[in-house]
Amino acid sequence: MHIHTALKRPTPHPSKTNPTQSARAPRHLLRQAAPIIGIGLFLFIWQAVVWLRLYPEFIIPSPAAVASRFVDVLLDGRLWLHTSTTALQIILGFALGATLAISVGYVVAKSLVFEAIVSPIFIAIQSTPVVAYAPLLVIWFGSGAASKVITSALIVFFPLLLNTVVGVRSVPNDQRDVMRLLNASRWQIFWQLEVPAALPILLGGLKVSATLAVIGAVVGEFVSAKAGLGYLIERADYDFDTPLVFVAIVMLALLARVMYGAVAWVERRVLRWRVK
Amino acid sequence: MLRRIALIILLVAITISVHGQDKQPITFFLTFVPNIQFAPIYVAIEKGYFAEAGIELTLEHGDEPDGVNLIAAGERQFGMISGEQVIAARANGRPVVSVYEWFQKYPIGIVVADDSGIESPADLRGRTVGIPGAFGASYTGLIALLTANELTEADIQLESIGFNAPQVFCLGGVEAAVVYVNNEPTQIERLAQRGECGAVRGVRVFNVSDYADMVSNGIITNEDTIADDPELVARFIIGFHNGVTLALNNPAEAYLMSLPYVDSLPRDPALMAALQAEADLDYDQGIGEYEEPGEGRAAVLERLRVAVPDVDWVQMEILIDTAQLWDALTPGSSDLESWQTTQDILVSMGIVSAPIDLENAFTNAFQPIG
Repeated sequence: MHIHTALKRPTPHPSKTNPTQSARAPRHLLRQAAPIIGIGLFLFIWQAVVWLRLYPEFIIPSPAAVASRFVDVLLDGRLWLHTSTTALQIILGFALGATLAISVGYVVAKSLVFEAIVSPIFIAIQSTPVVAYAPLLVIWFGSGAASKVITSALIVFFPLLLNTVVGVRSVPNDQRDVMRLLNASRWQIFWQLEVPAALPILLGGLKVSATLAVIGAVVGEFVSAKAGLGYLIERADYDFDTPLVFVAIVMLALLARVMYGAVAWVERRVLRWRVK
Repeated sequence: MLRRIALIILLVAITISVHGQDKQPITFFLTFVPNIQFAPIYVAIEKGYFAEAGIELTLEHGDEPDGVNLIAAGERQFGMISGEQVIAARANGRPVVSVYEWFQKYPIGIVVADDSGIESPADLRGRTVGIPGAFGASYTGLIALLTANELTEADIQLESIGFNAPQVFCLGGVEAAVVYVNNEPTQIERLAQRGECGAVRGVRVFNVSDYADMVSNGIITNEDTIADDPELVARFIIGFHNGVTLALNNPAEAYLMSLPYVDSLPRDPALMAALQAEADLDYDQGIGEYEEPGEGRAAVLERLRVAVPDVDWVQMEILIDTAQLWDALTPGSSDLESWQTTQDILVSMGIVSAPIDLENAFTNAFQPIG
């Protein structure tokens, strides 16, 4: 018997009951509209703060001032330049950090000796705030994109490493035993048991790491950069251009949301087989 | 208004010791980190000049824009901010005013290896130049220097290296670096002497102040404080000015007064003894012997090096180099021409979209009498 038929992935069950159309529709619409309502509420509170003059406008500019500045930098090309620079660093840092974390995490999960050797080093790196060693990375790897990619990768690495270890070790031992009884090869155990079992936890970790990658890239740009949203924030700060600072922050939030959303989309596709 | 302020200054100067009992708590915003370059402030605290002026001073460090915003919003009354920041801030609606120009020379320069073939700023064409970032006094100073030598940013390869100029320069990461002339060149030379600066054996510095007279670090406050409490401004400046005066005339004592505030200052017992001996000298026996106070301060450093040759005197050297930037016939005052030069640079850089009324950006009305 082939291993894959012995341990077939369960097919999704159809819903046991179908709520009536009329009961489901309003909740569905509300769920769809919730993000827009949330953003609208946030903008209203922001504008109220400006109307009430709780802070000088050079501390909290109005949404209109920020929107106007957004249009300025969109039209003069700076928004695309800085956003694309940071986005590339985020993607590369995320890819590098995730690849290393999953690879090393698998070995750590399988070898207690290896775990004992590397854990103290990784814990020390993770315990040190990235802002502390970001300047060193500039000295070692230069002021170009490399230092930002590495900063981003470092901040992604440890949480995802832990997720990988937990995920791989979460495989039920009885299922391993069944695979072995059926003379499954190591590759078959890895691909048809460990990967599917670890994926839910791993993808959850990837969603978190995707947003951490944004933080890492920006920290690197704060230390040393010629372009990027972190650089734009620092430059706008020193030029006392508070609306531009807000524009850059909004773009960073959007980048983080896109990264999170991309991993969530992959998660939905890959884990379709899971029982809801 | 000016006559009223002058009268206030006179009254404050006469009665300051009587008012010393009632101290007003003030937080003074400083940039960077605790450092020997802030020695006049430490002197003024330790010698009681602020206390005599009725001020109980607390120090706070942070980024320049944060300090400007806090002062503009009335959350702080005083800060040490670079002149070009005042112009940019006022152009963006922040009502801050410079009331005492502490640094009489712009402290930014470009350091190169003395065998680099870069004999003048014009030779920077095509070279890699490191800078902390494209903002602040470093960037403004760089543009001013390039402009004065008919160069633009496009003529050099600008690299953002953070505040790591000595390390990156010595590793050969850049051929030149934008620095504070009183700090990094001394550190690089010290590394070169120890053979820890790659192929660099000595350095050459191009000072921005040799090419453009721009306004630099000074005390700022906000318009409301000047209008509502000019006496406070006058008292604060008197306290600070006395600290500057002592630091200029007795750098050894200024170093000793800085010890409680700057953890990184060497405290070797032999060093302490030598500094105390210098500090105890009368002015006429020390710096006062020289026609130029700068020569006198340099002589102090030389005597210290001879007295204790095995100690690294780099921090004392930084203090004395920094003092050269403060020294002037009328410490604290600034002129419209230097403000105009600074604004012209900022307008050319696009940092300020339109010129502002510079008469409101600074005032010499609080200059100490005598």
